[in-house]
Amino acid sequence: MTAKPLSGLLRAAGMRFRAWAARRHGRDALPAIILSRRIYILPTRYGLMLAALVVAMLIAGLNYNSNLGLAFAFLMASLAVVAMHHCHRNLLGLKVDIESQIDAFAGSQAALRFALRNDSILDRRDIEIRCTIETTGAQGSGMQSVPAKAQMQDVVGLPVARRGVIRLGQFEMHTRYPFGWFHAWTYVYAPLTVFAAPRPHGIRPLPPAAAAAGAAAVSEIRGEEDFAGLRAYEPGMPLKHMAWKVLARGAEPAVRSYSSLGADPEWLDWHVLGDLPPEARLSQLCRWILDREAAGRPYALRLPRMEIAPAIGPAHRAACLRALAALKVG
Amino acid sequence: MNTGNVSYEQLRWSCACLALALIPHLPSLPLWIPLTVAASGAIRLVLAARGRGPPPQVLRLGIAAAAVVLLFLQYRTFNGISAGTALLALMGGLKLLETKTNRDVYVLILMVYFLSLSALLVGDSFWLFGYLVGVCWLTTATLLRLTVSGRGPDWRASLIYSARVLLHAMPLALVLWLFFPRFSSPLWQIPDNGRRASSGLSDTLSPGDITDLALSDEIAFRVRFTGSVPPPSERYWRGPVLHDFDGHTWRRDIQGFATPPALPPEGASYNYTVSIEPNRHNWVFVLDWPAQWDLPHGALTGDYMLVQPTPLLRLTDVAVTSRTRLAAAGALGAMTRQRDTGLPGGPNPRARDLALRLRGANPADGDFVRAVLGLFHNEPFYYTLTPPALADNSVDGFLFDSRRGYCGHYASAFAVLMRAAGIPARVVTGYVGGTLNRFADYWIVRQSSAHAWDEIWIDGRGWLRVDPTAAIAPERVERGLHQDPGADDYASIDLPGTSNWFADLRLRLDAFQQFWREHILQFDQASQLSLLSWLKISVPNESKLALVLAANLALALVWLTWQVRREILPRTHDAVVGAYERLCARLATVALPRMPHEGAEAYAARVAARRPDLAAVVTSLCRRYTALRYGACCSRADAVQFAAAVRAFRPRDFRGS
Repeated sequence: MTAKPLSGLLRAAGMRFRAWAARRHGRDALPAIILSRRIYILPTRYGLMLAALVVAMLIAGLNYNSNLGLAFAFLMASLAVVAMHHCHRNLLGLKVDIESQIDAFAGSQAALRFALRNDSILDRRDIEIRCTIETTGAQGSGMQSVPAKAQMQDVVGLPVARRGVIRLGQFEMHTRYPFGWFHAWTYVYAPLTVFAAPRPHGIRPLPPAAAAAGAAAVSEIRGEEDFAGLRAYEPGMPLKHMAWKVLARGAEPAVRSYSSLGADPEWLDWHVLGDLPPEARLSQLCRWILDREAAGRPYALRLPRMEIAPAIGPAHRAACLRALAALKVG
Repeated sequence: MNTGNVSYEQLRWSCACLALALIPHLPSLPLWIPLTVAASGAIRLVLAARGRGPPPQVLRLGIAAAAVVLLFLQYRTFNGISAGTALLALMGGLKLLETKTNRDVYVLILMVYFLSLSALLVGDSFWLFGYLVGVCWLTTATLLRLTVSGRGPDWRASLIYSARVLLHAMPLALVLWLFFPRFSSPLWQIPDNGRRASSGLSDTLSPGDITDLALSDEIAFRVRFTGSVPPPSERYWRGPVLHDFDGHTWRRDIQGFATPPALPPEGASYNYTVSIEPNRHNWVFVLDWPAQWDLPHGALTGDYMLVQPTPLLRLTDVAVTSRTRLAAAGALGAMTRQRDTGLPGGPNPRARDLALRLRGANPADGDFVRAVLGLFHNEPFYYTLTPPALADNSVDGFLFDSRRGYCGHYASAFAVLMRAAGIPARVVTGYVGGTLNRFADYWIVRQSSAHAWDEIWIDGRGWLRVDPTAAIAPERVERGLHQDPGADDYASIDLPGTSNWFADLRLRLDAFQQFWREHILQFDQASQLSLLSWLKISVPNESKLALVLAANLALALVWLTWQVRREILPRTHDAVVGAYERLCARLATVALPRMPHEGAEAYAARVAARRPDLAAVVTSLCRRYTALRYGACCSRADAVQFAAAVRAFRPRDFRGS
């Protein structure tokens, strides 16, 4: 009954506070160092319970005129104050850095990687990093402890429901360590882009006009001269490209990959899928890209108003997927 | 923060915390409460060990309702310390039974903290306080284990961490405790009466009833004399004065209560402070005859008892001045004389006959008194703590048949004999003697020093104290007559050749306890104001107290912030590097700065080449630096020596060839 208007009020107050904090801080350069002027702290529900307890203790001590009771009540009050300081310092001086561009597929989680560095001689425990997509309200968080003089990676899984380019202007760091009586947090204002590629989906083969020529050309041309490097082996890759010597050295199985220069690549073309709705066309393109990457066959991408030249490899794959993510349709 | 269910281990430690916080309450709780709590804990632990949750809610609510009803039937209230503590203990046990998530443990831990506090509202010993701070420490560590997610610190690290948090909290707590304003009166009336109050001396005396007088070593009160200490024969601590005798029991005269004493005290005075242990009575034990006292609502009764309207339920310090005599009196008031010579007509006929017989032989008051005391001395009267029970006519039975008794029998019989002979007499109960604690210069009076004696009125001399027990021949004292005012008290006698380290230890402990009482338990507004004047603050008052509190709080908080921040700063310099940098800085003053690329050995070689006079010292220092910094062995002492050697090194400018 009363909870609803109250929580609405709290949320509104929270929004205003965030806006105020954002105006106060401005943009951050990375890696950001958490200084004390940007750490906010409030008691939690349990902290408020403790405060009520301390007040009750104080009244009891005063009323019964008991100096020992008072001493105990004051000890508890001071304990709370110390806990507040310890909670605050749990964030203080941490250095945080982030990969500013993240790739993901729609319908899964974007893995946001944060590097937390602790130069102090004290372990920092239970640092929670939270990211929120403001437009959809989707939230992700990850908890990590950073030992003294160490760096740890905190991975935040941010669910992305739809394809698109998501820009986050900020992320938050929270902690309730120790005792959970206080909640300290800070905002870091650093741009962060998530490229949510379409969900790879679709069973259509590439139309033969494009596929046949490309495939034949590639298999003819491939030779030792075009060797481009090693890629991790995935099931289904042609065994004749297996790098047996690497395997014999005890390393992970790998396959040789070949430069597509000079090859006649397959063109993955938006326009050949004209009969599908736009998102389905993008999903199919995405599927084709992943298949070709897995098979080690070079490919090129043609989208409305945009072409990506033939190539193969992680950078090419990322460029293509980002193009799919960013494409505006309709 | 992890919000999941509690693990078995966390549950076990929560149980331990609750149990430890309950231990100080055990003596005062009805037995079924700790049993219920223990059963709840055991049931929950067994269930948790089998990986099951709490018992069903219907069952829990049923148990809770039954327990609360039982509790109410037992106490008839939920108010006050005893009932409140019992309720809290019970709720803690039931909370344990339903504990499932972290939230439950948070609530339980707050209960543990409050149970610790409520033990301190009743108890007041140093050991209890230390114990409960220890419980607080363990509880805080448990809480830490609960709130840290994943693989948190282990138990050792948790205990170390919570010890550190407690240490950080100490200065702030001390400042608050020292300067937080105290109220002289409670916020509201305390419904409980002091549970700890000992029975002490009662205000009736019926020697016929008691057959085995327990000698309790409990402390009745302590006394600190300022100035001279009265001789042993004067150390009679006067308590209830008994007038009304029904043939068996002596009682106080309630009607004559309000009349002020007739005669002002005079003569030499003794100044002392009596620190009375909490008890259910309202009188203060003082030496004859109280002239001034520092007790807010204290007053003297007509028979010179120092009383206040309410029981002395708390530790109370009363500063008293007593004087050795009362002003010489004319005649005793008719009413008083009638009261103090009255005897019931029926009982103890033989005693009255004896009195009249002796009175006939000794018409003078003094002779008669001496005759009665001589009777106790010469006839086979024994002093014993295990006298036979006496039925009706207890005085007759004592004087003519058993002839065995303790101070109460003698005082009672003596007063009856006096009254029967027409001499006004009253029985005074109290304590006699005391033990000097030579480590802290105060006197301890124990319950075992309880005593009864008489006061008789002799025309022209006033009220005189007579101790008939002292008249018993020493060889007929069976045991335990500590009250003999002719000798010093037993514990203060140094028996040559006997090892009394144990007595010493006891006295030292008591001295500490008295210190604890005077400076911690009795710390009040007056102590705060004298603390301010010790801090050289002129005209201390309450508003200055508030200012000092604020200033000290600010200081403590600055210290805390600094301390908390200091622990997270990386230690950039250790002592060895600092000393080496100082060495380089000193050499720089004689135009030999170290080049940034230079290692210690190369630098030393260059210095040696340029300044042969410094070569030996610098080479040795640089070699030591290299060994300390990069060598395997590096003890703290070596580092300190190295730093000292660098400090002692003061190169001068190079002069001459």
